[in-house]
Amino acid sequence: MTRQFWRVLGIAFIATGFATSMVVARADDEPAGDPVNGKRVYLADGCFECHGRAGQGGQFNYQTPALAKTALPVESFVAFLREAPNDMPSFSASVLTDKDAADIHAFLQTLPGPRPVKDIRQLDP
Amino acid sequence: MSKRSRSGRSDAPEASRRNFLKGATIAGAAALTTPVAANTAISGFPEPRPKAAPPGPRLAAADSMPPLADPVSQTSSGGDFMVDVFKTLDIDYLAMNCASSFRGLHEAVINHGGNAKPEILTCPHEEIAVHMGQGYAKMAGKPLAMICHGVVGLQHATMAMYNAWCDRVPVIVMGGNIIEANKRAPGAEWPHSAIDPAALTRDFVKWDDQPVSLQHFAESTVRAYKIATTPPMAPVMLSLDAELQENPIENRDALRIPKLVKATPPQGDDAALGELAKMLVTADNPVIICDRMARTPAGMPRLVELAETLQCAVIDNYGRMNFPSRHPLNQSFRRSILGQADVILALEVNDLWGTLSDFHDRIVRSAQPRYKKDAKIVTLGTRGLYLKANYQDFGRYQEVDLDIAGDAEASLPSLTEQVKRLVDESRKAAFDARGKKLAAAKLATVEQAKSDATIAWDASPITTARLCAELYSQIKDEDWSLAGTSIRLTWPHRLWNFDKPHRWNGASGGGGVGYTLPASLGAALANRDKGRLTVAIGGDGDFMFVPGTLWTAAHHKIPLLYIVHNNRAYHQEYMYLQAMAARHRRGITTTDIGTTLKDPFIDYATIAKGFGVYGEGPISDPGELAPALKRAIAMVKSGQPALLDVVMDQR
Repeated sequence: MTRQFWRVLGIAFIATGFATSMVVARADDEPAGDPVNGKRVYLADGCFECHGRAGQGGQFNYQTPALAKTALPVESFVAFLREAPNDMPSFSASVLTDKDAADIHAFLQTLPGPRPVKDIRQLDP
Repeated sequence: MSKRSRSGRSDAPEASRRNFLKGATIAGAAALTTPVAANTAISGFPEPRPKAAPPGPRLAAADSMPPLADPVSQTSSGGDFMVDVFKTLDIDYLAMNCASSFRGLHEAVINHGGNAKPEILTCPHEEIAVHMGQGYAKMAGKPLAMICHGVVGLQHATMAMYNAWCDRVPVIVMGGNIIEANKRAPGAEWPHSAIDPAALTRDFVKWDDQPVSLQHFAESTVRAYKIATTPPMAPVMLSLDAELQENPIENRDALRIPKLVKATPPQGDDAALGELAKMLVTADNPVIICDRMARTPAGMPRLVELAETLQCAVIDNYGRMNFPSRHPLNQSFRRSILGQADVILALEVNDLWGTLSDFHDRIVRSAQPRYKKDAKIVTLGTRGLYLKANYQDFGRYQEVDLDIAGDAEASLPSLTEQVKRLVDESRKAAFDARGKKLAAAKLATVEQAKSDATIAWDASPITTARLCAELYSQIKDEDWSLAGTSIRLTWPHRLWNFDKPHRWNGASGGGGVGYTLPASLGAALANRDKGRLTVAIGGDGDFMFVPGTLWTAAHHKIPLLYIVHNNRAYHQEYMYLQAMAARHRRGITTTDIGTTLKDPFIDYATIAKGFGVYGEGPISDPGELAPALKRAIAMVKSGQPALLDVVMDQR
């Protein structure tokens, strides 16, 4: 993949927005990586700092998106990490390998996404 | 000519306390001088230890009784008069950490004033005292006073004074000082005195003075109060001479306390407001941005009236309780609408450029406007009426099309009236259609927030969304007041119904850490007499700057539910450091060094108990959260403070 390709993918991702990506993954997007290692790397490399230990999202200088059950394909996900927009740090291959990035993606697929609000009394008074 | 020489005050009373002690010291030293001198030779041989000389007649006299001319009591003090001045200003509280440079005033507050108006608030740190004043003033609508050592106490107080300055909040700060050098005792009184104590704070107070007579004090205190409470509001600083506080009043009948007549807040020019009204009425997509707009409980309904008349979007920067969070026109979490705005009205917005720009904190920093090139930008506020040069809290210069100098809250009735006069039936129909679209978008935003809050609902560490949802479900039927939150915690404003002026109290202003706990306590103090249930959610790092605040809460029985947002880190800095490591392509697994609070973890509930405050935690199991909240809320409703330590994820 060329650098330009990744850039295009990254821009496309920005355009759609992280927030809208939080939908149930398609059946053909089954995780290909190792979610156990992905969880380890997600916590060790500090992804949780902005996106939450359970991928619920949070706040940095702006709202940081939820990543649980991200609908982003793994290639786009890795591309995004390499050249992230705005205040999101970019993670080069020298600190985060493609394999570890793919494993993080696999881990994110294992996290529960949103639940029906009506199932939670405190949110549906 | 110095202030001292200008005062015309003699050194009388000649046989004052300090002169008496000085005389005794000199006499004692003279008696010991000769024998001590004989012992100064350096010798390798032991020398006979000289005996002390018998006391001479002067020392004997000093040890036995003071000279007959030296009075030992007095029937009045300058401090009494100072308390009388405070009473005329209706100052309810004097927050302080006791210090000898204001012992005269301290004693007068208790024994002349009866420890009422003002009542002393004992604070274990001066920063706590000022931050309490900041939180109190925003909730009570009037300032309290604080006093400290004018040198070593004021240096502790400065961080909170800077926050109050940036937040445009009045606090009457006073510091004790000993102006005249010949009146200072040896030792601590010298490093605790200054020629100009307020110099330290002059960049972030609106006005200061060092009165040299009681009449001067009365006039300067009334003036200070007036200046502090006139928009744009800010702290003021008075340096109080110890002699002035302690010595007898020479002629009480000659002293006069001036009447306080508060200045009416400056209102925007009617013609300019008329021009603005035309712009708003003819606009297709006007957007109102507000920040420190609501000064009084009247502020919020006035803004609601304007927004409902126009059926336009309102974006709240949450500097005050400006606009109801669930109002259909509240679009605070849809800031992308700025891109469609044709008129943007900013009401008392602190950082307008920042609000209107997408800024990118990258190797090459850049920014793009969030608004259309042809959008008209109008400001209405007092922000520009009083600025100082050194500290840069005024933000980047923002070009605007109309800049109306005037207090927004005071100007809104006139603006709304002019808008109403311009609205005809066709515009009203357009407004109604616009309002319906905004209402639908608002509904969707709230539903999205609720859905987002369900993610990781059962996770441990507990999500901030769950904490906020659990807390709100237990207080929503009370007359609650959220007096502070940890940095950038947005869940309350996304999920809760903020519908009354006392529901929210703004933020620190300057971002100085150590604000949330004492400022929340100050707000809780203001709420106590109203029977409101005050809650706050504060960061663990913030807590660690001022934990002694809890003792003040217990001592003065101020009911406050304080939830420690325990993410075991200085999390904002943790994220910044992660970004630096990633940028430098190294060490992304080691950014916990210097940014986290672990090894050991801090037990906040035990700390609370040590200060006499009900404490529970650490709570990591989300299932234990609701019962713990119930117990803590019951404690607060009984009139006591309570702390819950909740181990949470970041925001």
